[in-house]
Amino acid sequence: MKLSYQIATRFLKSNVGQTIIIILGIGVGVSVQIFIGSLIQGLQKGLVETTIGNSSQITVTSTTDDKLITDYDSLLSDIEDADSRIQFISPALDNAAFLDYDGESQSLLVRGLDLQKADSIYDITDAIVEGIMPQASNEILLGSTLKEKYGISLNEEINLITPDKRTILCEVVGFFDLKVAQLNNNWCITTLETAQTVFNSENTISSIEMQVTEADVFSADLIASDLEAILSDDTLEFTNWKGQNEQLLSGLQGQSISSLMIQVFVMISVVLGIASVLAITVMQKSKQIGILKAMGIKNSKASLIFLFEGLILGFFGAITGIAFGIGLAASFTTFALNADGTPVIDLYIDPNFILLSGAVAMVACVLASLIPARKSSKLNPIDIIRNN
Amino acid sequence: MESILEVKNVNKIYGTTITTQVLTDINVGFEKGSFNSIIGQSGSGKSTLLNIIGTLDTPTSGEVYIKGIPTAKMSKNKLAQLRNKSIGFVFQFHYLLPEFTALENVLMPYRIGGGIVNKEIKDKARDLMSLVGLEKVADNNATKMSGGQQQRTAIARALLNSPDIILADEPTGNLDSNSTETIYNLLRNINDQFKTTFVIITHDRRIAEKADRIVEIADGKINMDIRK
Repeated sequence: MKLSYQIATRFLKSNVGQTIIIILGIGVGVSVQIFIGSLIQGLQKGLVETTIGNSSQITVTSTTDDKLITDYDSLLSDIEDADSRIQFISPALDNAAFLDYDGESQSLLVRGLDLQKADSIYDITDAIVEGIMPQASNEILLGSTLKEKYGISLNEEINLITPDKRTILCEVVGFFDLKVAQLNNNWCITTLETAQTVFNSENTISSIEMQVTEADVFSADLIASDLEAILSDDTLEFTNWKGQNEQLLSGLQGQSISSLMIQVFVMISVVLGIASVLAITVMQKSKQIGILKAMGIKNSKASLIFLFEGLILGFFGAITGIAFGIGLAASFTTFALNADGTPVIDLYIDPNFILLSGAVAMVACVLASLIPARKSSKLNPIDIIRNN
Repeated sequence: MESILEVKNVNKIYGTTITTQVLTDINVGFEKGSFNSIIGQSGSGKSTLLNIIGTLDTPTSGEVYIKGIPTAKMSKNKLAQLRNKSIGFVFQFHYLLPEFTALENVLMPYRIGGGIVNKEIKDKARDLMSLVGLEKVADNNATKMSGGQQQRTAIARALLNSPDIILADEPTGNLDSNSTETIYNLLRNINDQFKTTFVIITHDRRIAEKADRIVEIADGKINMDIRK
């Protein structure tokens, strides 16, 4: 073992230039793999985050005629106890209403939320661009689009006209920007209590919204069906984000597959490159292998020399590749910027993925060295001695 | 005296469609502790014979016995072990490993045999280096020595595992006459001192005459066998 290892290191050191070129070759392959992997993972995380990061991932609604859920406090705690993968849970009472301001009107979705809980899902606090959270009754938040559209100013009073034609005077205590034009134009956020009073729906809600832990985002469908089974209530309906975003999901899947394909083919080309270079090394070192065999080195040990060469090249190649890959990622996030200074794409640096890439490269290099190892094992010393 | 090497009815034929018979019915034995030379024209088959004796090559038919053991049915690993422990090779081209120092080259057969280098074996290697007059360049890289020095290093290497047999194929073939003289005197000294059996191929009759026995090969057959 030790002798084969030492011979391998001496062989590699005897031709430093060639060794460095091979290591660089592996390094470039590994760095491309790491860069592409991090890029795609970052892209996907970004997409998922913007799509569902600030929205309900599992929503419970009622199938009764009035679409309302009563006795929701016990239901909330039941759901909370049912599955530890559910991170945030918040009740909501949604109703349509008309905004009446200065002679103009438009429809609104009045969302009565348990603001403290809903904040975890929608990040309302961060989304408020002006003003404060509603606290007292008849305080509301409107989207920033409406502010510009109608020239509503902070702490001004507006009229909400309910579907049963009642007019309620509300105070606009703030404006939000949820980064989605439709929500900024349509939503009116208020406390659950205000909504219940305004729409005469005491002690009822229209939906329960949930977010699951980040690691379980893609299991939202399973969690939803688990919940459905545990609660076994015919009057409740469970929807999850995956069911509503099939196109996004198939897009993500396609992206993952193409990213994997690129990575696999990069690795294959690295392996082929190393295999051919190492095969040439066997020819270069055939004299040495011949004399070692004449002196009685066993075929297995002669093979081991090249397996060690593969392992050493793979190890340093992987380290070089990881350094290059991280460097490439860092410069990409530093130099490829949007106008506002944020990176075009946030790379997702996953240490496990990087270590895995390094390990795959090492295994690939050892596999590549099997060909020269076999060649070395088959080399007959007499051919070397006779030909000289 | 007992025979340490025994070659019985050895034939060697190269090629399958166009065949060339290199050795024809060779029968020869070498005694333990003897100093033998094999001479012959180039292409006479002497090197092939030596390679067959050294188990590097296999005869087409016939048997080779080393220390009384037939080698024909031994596995590759067993043959490797036999070469490592019992036979030392010295070739016309010294075949040092250029990646290692002279001393490391000398130690190589011991390490190949699975030995772990300790002070004792290092001292032995250094002793052998001084025996061949190279104690001063022991730590030089193999490539940084003259041809004669390299060949003497190869001899020290062949001696390290204290083999019973040393097979040398034109060990002075590419050396000047001074170095040739030194090497032959060295080999004889080793033969006297360690009772190692030597089989040496040479084309130089003056050198051959210093041996205890001269075997001449011509056209793949033993043409002459003179013992002193």
